[in-house]
Amino acid sequence: MSDTAGTGAVLVVGGGISGLTAALEAAEVGNDVFIIDKNPSFGGRVAQLNQYFPKLCPPTCGLEINYRRIKDNRRVRTYSMTTVKSVSGGPGNYEVQLVTAPRYVNSNCTACGECAKVCPDLIDDPFNFGMNKTTAIRLPHEMAFPHRYVLDKEACSAETLEAIKGACKYDAVDLDMQPETFTIHVGSIIWSTGWDPYDAKKMDNLKFGQSSAIITNMMMERLAAPNGPTKGKILRPGDNKEPESFAFVQCAGSRDENHLEYCSYICCMATFKQMTYIRERYPEAQIYVFYIDLRTPGRYEHFREKLLGDPKSQFIKGKVADIIPESDGGVTVVAENALTGAKIQQKVDLCVLATGMQPALGQNGKSLGVRMDPNGFVVSDADKGQFAAGCAKSAVDVYTSGQSSTAAALKAIQIGK
Amino acid sequence: MSMNVQPDLDFIKDMKRAGGDTLKKCYQCATCSVVCPLSSDDNPFPRREMILAGWGLKENLLGDANVMLCHQCGDCTTYCPRGAKPGDVLGAIRAYAYKHFGWPKGLANLASSGKNLPLLIGIPAVIIFVFWIISGGMHIPSSEDFARYGYGHFFGHWNFRLLAKNVFFIDIIMVPAFLLAVYASYRGVSAMWKLMVKSSGIDEPLYRPTVNQFIKEFLWPSIVEIVQHTRFKKCVTNADRLKGHLPLLLSFIALLFVTAYSFFVQDVLGIFYPSLHGPISMWNPVKILANIAAIALIVGIGILWGNRSRNEAEGTTTRTFYDWFLIWMIMAVGVTGLAAELFRLINVASVGYVIYYLHLVSVMMLFLYMPYTKFAHLVYRTFAMAFERYRESAYVKNPLTQ
Repeated sequence: MSDTAGTGAVLVVGGGISGLTAALEAAEVGNDVFIIDKNPSFGGRVAQLNQYFPKLCPPTCGLEINYRRIKDNRRVRTYSMTTVKSVSGGPGNYEVQLVTAPRYVNSNCTACGECAKVCPDLIDDPFNFGMNKTTAIRLPHEMAFPHRYVLDKEACSAETLEAIKGACKYDAVDLDMQPETFTIHVGSIIWSTGWDPYDAKKMDNLKFGQSSAIITNMMMERLAAPNGPTKGKILRPGDNKEPESFAFVQCAGSRDENHLEYCSYICCMATFKQMTYIRERYPEAQIYVFYIDLRTPGRYEHFREKLLGDPKSQFIKGKVADIIPESDGGVTVVAENALTGAKIQQKVDLCVLATGMQPALGQNGKSLGVRMDPNGFVVSDADKGQFAAGCAKSAVDVYTSGQSSTAAALKAIQIGK
Repeated sequence: MSMNVQPDLDFIKDMKRAGGDTLKKCYQCATCSVVCPLSSDDNPFPRREMILAGWGLKENLLGDANVMLCHQCGDCTTYCPRGAKPGDVLGAIRAYAYKHFGWPKGLANLASSGKNLPLLIGIPAVIIFVFWIISGGMHIPSSEDFARYGYGHFFGHWNFRLLAKNVFFIDIIMVPAFLLAVYASYRGVSAMWKLMVKSSGIDEPLYRPTVNQFIKEFLWPSIVEIVQHTRFKKCVTNADRLKGHLPLLLSFIALLFVTAYSFFVQDVLGIFYPSLHGPISMWNPVKILANIAAIALIVGIGILWGNRSRNEAEGTTTRTFYDWFLIWMIMAVGVTGLAAELFRLINVASVGYVIYYLHLVSVMMLFLYMPYTKFAHLVYRTFAMAFERYRESAYVKNPLTQ
């Protein structure tokens, strides 16, 4: 693949909404683009949302059109399950080694689903944060791109593997697939590696994992999503109870020097948005939002005003610092109301931790020589021809990610031409 | 229109000196009040105290019982998302309160700064030295005399039956220091109580308890709670401190008893039975208790010393003179006391006398500076705990309406 050497090709690392945007912007002005994603499907975190800002669209809305544009553009080459192994060279002539993990399913796959029908071995569905089980050979999700199954070989018995292979009439299952390392030549690199939800177990006082009534905001997105584990009904994991009361715990890990010392920017808006999910399904439910400050940047202010007026919702200024699992399956959240100076113990059926965004690149970025700030966000370096886009750059919403991705593409296409 | 805002520099300096300047980092999330194992649902702290301190509202803090109820467990500091160290801040506010309520003012100011350490040691050292000279007892005794009288002739000896010379001199040094501490504590606690009553809006109670009722219903239960270390046991972050504070407190109580016994036997019964003067036998149960208490005191303060050093090294607390001065004083009392006894037992009068002198100096320091240093928590916290019971009691709250 050395045909792209010296042509100003761009490598986009991470195929979420930011990476897809940057890749298309660069390709549609005539540059060769490689876009890789470590997951079996592109689409990133946005694919997991029920609705996303600014217009509360379902993710199919934005992602489908981007997939279409990629399929139509011969300058973009996509590699799923692929990560960066090493980066050498300099701006204009980077030599990047990539590794593609074995998918055990080749491009013959038509996503007919016959293999899954014969697969008895189940795994926690990573797309739904383990809230349901799925077969060890699975389509990552309904609108997966590439639309192809992926096999978790470790989770399967030898008989299962035989059965799966036998069930595929297109000869798409290849159990001998090995990790494949290959080298590409590019002029510049865009890091759009996105974010991971901060691990809620790290906040020991919030007892995540000790009660199924404590979920994260990303789990809430999956519960509300029509393709989620409950088909869009918001039910308490474990006993499938229809919750009559909800608590939102803001800044769960964000603005905290023991966890993420920055504001994750989106969690207040995510909570307001999720309140609308609840209202659509449970008009009578009580909602309690515990916050330090409600941050709704820019035009989101109007959205906030609307929800502050909800008569069955209470906003309490005070961070939840203790959650007590109750025997009936609910939890009691404890906070001090800083406006009244009294402690509140509020019993609720479901508690949502508004966990923040942690840059997903992490320590890998350091070993690849990527310039990063102390929090792990990528810092663009024009002299090196490496740029940051979306949540790899800072914690932002989709709309701002789009802007920074376009900006990164504009800078990247100027390198090495 | 312009507004002239003057920062309260003195208060800021006081906070900084006692290790509480981290309060400026607080952003009022109220995590601290929830994780605090000691704060109640109706009266949570330290979030409120953090903002009062941030705004410089000293008067509100001085009348806030919560400031004294805090045991500096450090759980708030562990969970604080901003590194504002609420535990240290409340400690610093207490230091400020002891200084504010302290009387005489000059002594209170003197005892609050490490810069004055030479003077703080120098005053009792000179006073005792001068009395030692005046007494005429300032010579090293023969080993027979030392074995027989111990330090009983430190200030010399006279043939005045009713009062031993040594007792006389020790009393004219220690009794005024002790009485000053008692009076200063009384003044300070009274002033604090008035402010607490005022800020709780209970200036006009339904019934005023008698002294007996006050002691029986509020003070004594608080003392029992203190001795049992009920609140210390709730601390999580600083759980190890209990292992130091408990033996230390018990040793103080034991030594108080030993001192009272010794005073009664030697200075009262001794008038009629002169043979009771001189060192108590090592096998006397009271002496055994005294020795156990001395060791417990040194072990206890040693554990607190180690804990504090470790916490400072880990950065979970700030090193301040306010915290260390008390540790140093108690350690000095324990070590010089035990060493003086050892040198008496091995009969080395020359070293023993010097150590005994230092022992008297450190004991006097402990008495004299009690109301102004961290040692003042002994009285202020005890009465704040009594106040906590009082403000919830039927004397001030009508059980039918409140």
